[in-house]
Amino acid sequence: MENKNSKKYVIASACVMGLGQILYKQYVKGILYLLIMAGGICYFAFSGMDAIKGFFTLGTVKADPWTGAVGDDSIIMLIMGILTWIILLFWIACYYSNIKDVRNTGKRLARGERPLTFLEELKQLLDRKFYISVLFLPVVGVCIFNIVPIIFMIFIAFTNYGGSIIPPELVDWVGFDNFKKLLTLSQFAPTFFRILSWNFLWAVLSTVMNYFGGLFLALLLNKKCVKGKAFWRSFPVLAYAIPGFITLLAFKFMFSYGGPINQMITAMGYSAVGFLDLDAKWMARIIGLLVNAWISIPSIMLLATGILANMDETLFEAARIDGAGRWKQFVKITLPFMLFSTTPVLIGQFTGNFNNFGIFYFLRGGLYLEGYFLASDTDLLINWLYNLSIDNNYYNIGASISLVIFLIISVISLSVYVKSPSYREEDTFR
Amino acid sequence: MKRRWSLTNILDTGVTYLLLLAVALIFFFPCLWLILASFSRTGSIYSFDGFFPSEYSLDSFKTLFTDTAMYNYPRWFLNTLLIAAASCVLGSLLVILTAYTMSRFQFKARKPIMKTTLVLGMFPSFMGMIAVYLLMTQFNLINNHLGLILIYSAGAPMGYLTQKGFFDTIPLSMDEAARIDGATSLQVFLKINLPLSKPILVYTALSSFTWPWSDFILPKLLLKEKNMYTVAVGLMSLGETEFARFAAGAIFIAVPIVILYFFLVKYMVSGLAAGAVKG
Repeated sequence: MENKNSKKYVIASACVMGLGQILYKQYVKGILYLLIMAGGICYFAFSGMDAIKGFFTLGTVKADPWTGAVGDDSIIMLIMGILTWIILLFWIACYYSNIKDVRNTGKRLARGERPLTFLEELKQLLDRKFYISVLFLPVVGVCIFNIVPIIFMIFIAFTNYGGSIIPPELVDWVGFDNFKKLLTLSQFAPTFFRILSWNFLWAVLSTVMNYFGGLFLALLLNKKCVKGKAFWRSFPVLAYAIPGFITLLAFKFMFSYGGPINQMITAMGYSAVGFLDLDAKWMARIIGLLVNAWISIPSIMLLATGILANMDETLFEAARIDGAGRWKQFVKITLPFMLFSTTPVLIGQFTGNFNNFGIFYFLRGGLYLEGYFLASDTDLLINWLYNLSIDNNYYNIGASISLVIFLIISVISLSVYVKSPSYREEDTFR
Repeated sequence: MKRRWSLTNILDTGVTYLLLLAVALIFFFPCLWLILASFSRTGSIYSFDGFFPSEYSLDSFKTLFTDTAMYNYPRWFLNTLLIAAASCVLGSLLVILTAYTMSRFQFKARKPIMKTTLVLGMFPSFMGMIAVYLLMTQFNLINNHLGLILIYSAGAPMGYLTQKGFFDTIPLSMDEAARIDGATSLQVFLKINLPLSKPILVYTALSSFTWPWSDFILPKLLLKEKNMYTVAVGLMSLGETEFARFAAGAIFIAVPIVILYFFLVKYMVSGLAAGAVKG
């Protein structure tokens, strides 16, 4: 008899959210589900359907100043459409959880237990299901401010938004045209590959430099013979505390023709060096690397100090007793432990450096060189994208290029990450 | 045997201090240059004598705080402080909770979420900014500090991996012991793990404070009125002849973080979890 009822209640909940719960006398939960259902239906009846329609058409009415007609803004329609899709997905997830919930209650009854009261379920959210209550806010925030913009960008890569076609003009879906343009137009392809190879070199070099620089500094400061650690550490922290853009502008001044370094060079009788000039390809690149190291090493050092402080001292004692030298201790204990704790940071550093916008924007921004389409030989892809999309309105091309880059990067990083010890053997150091 | 050890020790210490001195110089010299520039009388970089200004005065600091008609620095400073403090509190809370959950709980969505965040982090950040800007116009949050705080705090959990790495190194055996004594997840987190996490808490708070403190792209995009500016946008709007004022403003914005660090340094250095499960 119990079994029959529970099936009925599942069907009831499948028809009307919360009905099954109410039949089980779980009133508060049932009413909450009912409200979600009513809210969802109202939302879709009044604005959601239009938003979805707008997502597909991207606007049909063009603004006409003669008749005074208010036109459709394709871009706003696209973004509201994406938001609506997400709300729809969330609503369906609620619906699904509602059915699952009734089924679980039925199972509990079949086992001879009584249904959970609302208070008990709330308590579960602080204990066994703690992760749900904790992750809710971050997930919503990331959805709105990270996922929606990225989805928007992906969709833009398949529209003709850019050039002269910006609202109030109507934007349209164009399929893979932008990618075809990228491959066939000699305008884009050579610049893309030239910048890409430099971008890779830059990302690898700067990541290795910063990571080992920071680790080295942390180990140096961690040595027993160093007195006044706080004092010595305060210098890198001073560099860390100064906002990046100030550092970058200061370094630009320092390497400029009137800057102090050139003044010293001229004072010694040599002619001034154009460190960041048009033809200063490798000089400017190396300066960029060093300046980036100056900015990033302190933060890695702080992190490494924190992690080193967390290390088990007995490991070193045991190693010393076994006669391991300092280098051996570093290679066999410290480095694996550091890599274990910071592989994600390392990947984050790599992608962060790959997309390091500030360095060359401030040091050498706004240069357009020959052989490059709207870029210079120090520009990274991100700088090129900025030039293309923000300065020159090539939104669709910019979006499709960034999609290509993203594919390359994500394949590399994910494969490294999945192979890394911190993903595969989470328990090694426990 | 004993003497040879002490000799290498002396050498080792000497080299260590030499290296430290070099590091200190490398990091301090540009700062010194900037500090002295802020005291320059003329204000233009071209009137410097080599590295340092030829004449010193306090004028640029005075004008920074009194001459607010064109460049309202005190106002920018308060704006930045408000945005950074609010995003620091909200952002750290979200990151720590996210990281802790991802480190301690096993649930179906865990690995997918980890992979998704990693993938999301690989997108060039400002390509989405056009969309962020449009979203903000829709929510009516342009020229509004709340919008910036929202974006910074909501973006913070994306960087949870560092903190997760830290929580992974705290032994699980203590959690289990507490659970056997009847503690709930919330209690285990608050009473056991949180007190052991001071170093990473400090790191999180510092980094989520410095990000809004020194960011220039987002405020530049979202703040249109001069009085709403943050220091970063404001200082960028200064002309090149105002180099001394720029330097003075830059020095002043670095002060709070340096002070913060000196207050918090003890938490970062001592490893509180080290030895917690010894024996």
